Amino acid sequence: MSIRFIRFISSRWTRLVLVASVLMGFQTTLFNDMRPFGVMAQVMVLFAACAGVVYGAEIGAVAGLIIGLMYDCVLTTPLGLASLVLGATAFIAGAFPYFVRDSTWWNKAIAVAVASAVGEILFPIAQALVGLGGWVQWRIFVVALVVAIINLILAPILIPVVRWTLKETLVG
Amino acid sequence: MSAISAKRKRAIALLSLTSIILITLDLQGSASTSVLRGTFGVFFRPIEGVARVITRPVSNAWHGITHYNAVTQENDLLREKIAQQEGAAVAAAASVRLSQELLALNGLPTLAGINSVSAQVIGDSPSNFSQSVEINQGSESGVKVGMPVMNAAGLVGKITKVFPRRSIVMLITDPEYALSVKVINNPEAASPINDPEASATTTSSTSTTTTIPKPQPTSNIPGFTPGTTTLPLTTINVPISIPSLAPTLTVPNNGALPIRETGILEGRGPSRVPIVRFIDSAQRFGTILPGAPIVTSGGSLSLAPPDIVVGTVSKVTDRLGTAGPILEINLVADLANLSFVRILLYQPITEQVKP
Repeated sequence: MSIRFIRFISSRWTRLVLVASVLMGFQTTLFNDMRPFGVMAQVMVLFAACAGVVYGAEIGAVAGLIIGLMYDCVLTTPLGLASLVLGATAFIAGAFPYFVRDSTWWNKAIAVAVASAVGEILFPIAQALVGLGGWVQWRIFVVALVVAIINLILAPILIPVVRWTLKETLVG
Repeated sequence: MSAISAKRKRAIALLSLTSIILITLDLQGSASTSVLRGTFGVFFRPIEGVARVITRPVSNAWHGITHYNAVTQENDLLREKIAQQEGAAVAAAASVRLSQELLALNGLPTLAGINSVSAQVIGDSPSNFSQSVEINQGSESGVKVGMPVMNAAGLVGKITKVFPRRSIVMLITDPEYALSVKVINNPEAASPINDPEASATTTSSTSTTTTIPKPQPTSNIPGFTPGTTTLPLTTINVPISIPSLAPTLTVPNNGALPIRETGILEGRGPSRVPIVRFIDSAQRFGTILPGAPIVTSGGSLSLAPPDIVVGTVSKVTDRLGTAGPILEINLVADLANLSFVRILLYQPITEQVKP
C-alpha cells in the first residue's frame, strides 16, 4: 500500500498536476495583470509546448491534455476546449525532436515559441468550431506574435522545470 | 517500448475523448461541468491566493513602470473633469430624482427601485480570447445568471456563471454579448410646411384645465418596489393649438421630445468598439448624430431593465436599402479599469418564477 502510494506521489503525472497548479496560480495573477501590448502571456501554452519539445509528441500531448483540463476549470470557454488545444500544441511541438537531432537551448526555445504561436491561433479557431464565433479576427496574429516572443524569452527558464516535472523517476 | 507507446496512445485517445465529451456537456449547459469547476475552484483558490500575495510586488512594479505617465495624465484630467461636473451633478441629481418620482408615480420600473448587490472585481479571464471578469458575490447574495452588471458610469455586462461566493461577468465587448438597446435621438425641430392651397386664415391658441387623479403604482418586476411618492390632485394647464384655416400647416411639435429607436448591441472583442445594429430604418427617427446616448431598452424579454446608460454613438455607418444604420458606440464604463460593480437583482417578467 505504502509503496503504491509512494509510486503514485512520485509519478510524473502527479508532479505535473502540482507544478501546473502553481503555474496556473501565476497565470491567473501575475501574467493576468502584466499585459504587454494588451496581450497576456500564456504560461500554460508555454508549458505544453515545452513538454512537447523536451519529451516528444506522445508525453507532450498527454501533459498538454491534463494541464489543459486544469486550465479549463478557470476559463469561461467550454470545459475541455483548452485541453484539446494544449494537447494539440504539445503534439505539434513534439515534432521538433524528429527534425533536430542535436538540439541546443536556443533552437528548443525557438521551437517552443513557434508551437506557442500555433497554439494561440488554434484557440480562437477551436472556439469558432464549437460555435463561439467572433474571435477569429486579424488580432489573433498580433496575439500569437506577442505570445511567441514572450514564450521565446521564458522558454529557457521553463524547459528545466518541465524536464524535472516529467522525468520518469526522480531516483537515479 | 512499443507497449509503452500503445499505452500512451490510449491515454491520448481517452483524454481527447474526455475533452470532447466535456465540451458537449458544457455547451448543453450540464450542471456536472459547473460542479467540476466549482470543486476545482475549492482546491485552486488557496493556491491562487498565495500566488497573488507573492506576485503582487512584481505586478505593482510592472504597473508602476508601464502606467506611470498615463496615471499622472489621467489624474490631471480627472481633477479638471471633477471641477467641471460638480455643478452639473447637482442639477442632474435633481432631474434624476424628478424622473424617478414620475416613473414611480406611473408604476413604471426605475433603476432606483431595483435591489442590487455591490461586488468587487477579483480577477480577469486568464485568456486572450474571452472578455469576462470574476466578482466576489454569488448565489448566496441572490445573484443569478443573466442579471445585468453595472458600475458607477453605466452598463458593464451580464452574469454568465454563478458559484456560491463568486460569479463570472461577461463584458459588453465579448463577441457573444448581445442586448436590446435604444438610441435617444434629438430630431431637428419641427418646421412649418407651407400649404399653397390654404387660404388666409389664422391659428388660435387656448388653454384648458385638466385634473389628474393620483394613479396607483403597480409593478410585476421582482425586486422593484415602486416609490411611495404621494401627490395631491394636480391641476395642469395644457396649451392646445387649434388650427383654424391657417395659411401654413403647423406640424405637431413633438420634435421637441427625444425619439427612441430600438436596436441590438453586439460586442466585437477588446480591440473593436461594440456596435448597434438596426433591423430597418425608420423615417420618423431622423438622422442619428454622433453623441446620441444609448440606453437599455428593457421589456419583458430583455435581461436588463430599461434606461441603464450604455454609451454614446461615436460613428454612424449607413447601409443600403431599408436596412438601418450600424452605430459604433463609445461605452461610458471603462472596462479596462473595473474595481467595483453593482449587480441589479433584476429578472424580466418572463423569467419570473411563479409560486
